[in-house]
Amino acid sequence: MTTRRDFLKVTGGAVAGALVPRGASAAPKAMSVVRESSFIKPFDDYFSKTLLPEYEKLTGIKMSYEATSVGGMLTRLTTIAETKSGPEIAMTGLNQALLFDNSLVDVTDVANGIGKQLGGWHENVLEVVVSKGKWKALPWGNIGQLEVYRTDWFKEVGVTKFPETWEDLLAAGRLLKKKGHPFGFELGHGFGDNHGWLYPLFWSYGGREVDRDGKTVVIDSAETAKALDFCRKFYQETMFEDVLGWTDVNNNKAFFGEQISCTNNASSILVVGKRDFPEIAKVTDHALNPAGPKGRFHVMNAVSHALLTHAPDQAAAKAFLKWLYDDKQLSRWLTSADAYYAPFLHGYDDHPMWKPEPRYLPYKESLKTTRPHTWPGPQGPAASESVAKYVLVDMFAKACRGDATKDVIATAAAQLKQIYKAK
Amino acid sequence: MAVGPASIARPAPVAGRPATMRGLIEREGVFSWLMLAPGVLFLLAFVAYPFFYGIFLSLEDRRVASEGVFVGLANFRTLANDAVFWQVVRNTFMYVCVTTILKLAGGLAMALVINQQFRGRNLARAFLLLPFIVPTALSTVAWMWILDPTFSVVNWLLVHGGIISSGYSWLGNASLAMWSLIVVNTWRGTPFYGITLLAGLQTISPDLYEAAAIDGASTTQRFLWVTLPVIKPVLIIVTMFSVIFTFGDFQLIYALTHGGPANATHVFSTLAFDIGMSAGQLGMGAAVALSILPALAALIVVLTIYLRRE
Repeated sequence: MTTRRDFLKVTGGAVAGALVPRGASAAPKAMSVVRESSFIKPFDDYFSKTLLPEYEKLTGIKMSYEATSVGGMLTRLTTIAETKSGPEIAMTGLNQALLFDNSLVDVTDVANGIGKQLGGWHENVLEVVVSKGKWKALPWGNIGQLEVYRTDWFKEVGVTKFPETWEDLLAAGRLLKKKGHPFGFELGHGFGDNHGWLYPLFWSYGGREVDRDGKTVVIDSAETAKALDFCRKFYQETMFEDVLGWTDVNNNKAFFGEQISCTNNASSILVVGKRDFPEIAKVTDHALNPAGPKGRFHVMNAVSHALLTHAPDQAAAKAFLKWLYDDKQLSRWLTSADAYYAPFLHGYDDHPMWKPEPRYLPYKESLKTTRPHTWPGPQGPAASESVAKYVLVDMFAKACRGDATKDVIATAAAQLKQIYKAK
Repeated sequence: MAVGPASIARPAPVAGRPATMRGLIEREGVFSWLMLAPGVLFLLAFVAYPFFYGIFLSLEDRRVASEGVFVGLANFRTLANDAVFWQVVRNTFMYVCVTTILKLAGGLAMALVINQQFRGRNLARAFLLLPFIVPTALSTVAWMWILDPTFSVVNWLLVHGGIISSGYSWLGNASLAMWSLIVVNTWRGTPFYGITLLAGLQTISPDLYEAAAIDGASTTQRFLWVTLPVIKPVLIIVTMFSVIFTFGDFQLIYALTHGGPANATHVFSTLAFDIGMSAGQLGMGAAVALSILPALAALIVVLTIYLRRE
């Protein structure tokens, strides 16, 4: 009688070719994967209802899927890592692979194999998944944060192409606010749409929180002051007070409530628009973040799968990840996401997933100028602490509400010195 | 006669009776402890252990999924030099003090009203309890809409009533955001005071009011010299509980403002969560959470001593 173990060996060699590694000699009865619910339901459904049953059929391993609520993955990951129990494969976002690196298995071999098969990885993603030379997670894509705007209202004020620079966007915003169509960029304690534009704006004026060494706090600079002064003007002349308290749901609500003409968001806003607000979706478009004097930037949110060290059979879990990231599966799965996830693999630069909706193309384009939060400082616990304490967001929010530039910089610098243990 | 768990136990077995399991259980001391054991175990597992583990964590430099390093009081020293922490202290005390006063006044008024005889009294009691019964996350979503600048029913009423020309930013303005949270917390917490104080009011003998009325006491005098002294112990206990709950309030603030704008509504619980969970600094997060302990302990001791003297 053929056992699951035998079957895995056979399928590893004959059916799936190189997909199942030789080390995967033990065949567990079951494996589980946990991920944060995607804003794109078909993406989750394709995984749980198509891909997992396929793998079950192929290997006989019972695959289960757990979805946490949006924003809840970090808490779940913490409980899994602390208790060393629960699903053996988990999603990581932002720089979490480095925050939990002690609890994650080295997947360099799998990453190298995927890179070789699919044209190589984008270099910038390595900053958030490679710890001490070892890959700790396998990114499947980036959730880009770009500009979302109403083409009809922009045309009303004579702007037919989205502004290339922050100054030009400010000029357009002034006209739009006068027409009753203000901008709405989040400045509160959300988790994505605030950092999504504030870090790029900060970087594009030359501002940096900390140097590459992770020891020298460099936020107290003329570049930071310029970014703050611009942002204050941008807020006062194009927005309204409520954005100071917005969390991530508010800008979506305001956009579909036809309260604002432009915001910073992921492409899910257009997906929701097409489904629930088709008339607004027709006049909605995306654009790259504007450029500043020192270039154009976007913030990185690389979503990945990581393998936990408590996994009873790490080889089998790696075999699953190899199978999942094989073009035969990954290509179909990414297509189901309506281009919400921009893959960090050059082999997918011209993937058919980009064809059906040209309005999503800026998300692919943005990968080239995507940087992790707190860049160019090293990713790790201190970077996470800076983000969790909203150091940058609050510095901008305070400047926007009218606090003096030098005061808000001094406060942020003091916080960063404490976080990075710098003098 | 002493009243306690032992008093409900059966008499001790007669000397010389064979030591069977039944006999053992029927011993007063053993039976008392058997009855107490589930409660004690529950408290040890879910109160004492997390509490002492929290103290242990707060003395460590402990990042998530890593071994901790004992650092003594270093986490507390770091917090003492953190401007955001002191802003959080001010925010928390303002939030707790103002909501407690409002809930106390509102709850007392509510209890006095629903203690009267009127048609539909039971229905009124049920409706007044609704804010306390509805899950916080659910009612907070409703408040998100109520406080939304565009869709706010409050703004609509104020603008259409000719009181203001344009709507307020209830959650975007630093001062208004704190007051908005105070209103929501008061709305949710007042029924707890109301229903508890109602129980206290119902223990007051009508004879006392009758005697006071015969002596010529006015309504205010009857309230001040009959009602208040009798319900004072209940008032103190309900205030103590409410203060403890409010100090630890998390859901409401996290859902409405997440501590923003610019930390204007950040309190101990939201800061502890951000540092402990989002930043993965479990030791520092525990230190933030424990920083509130001295104030809470002092309050509980003072109120308990006062209650005993009374």
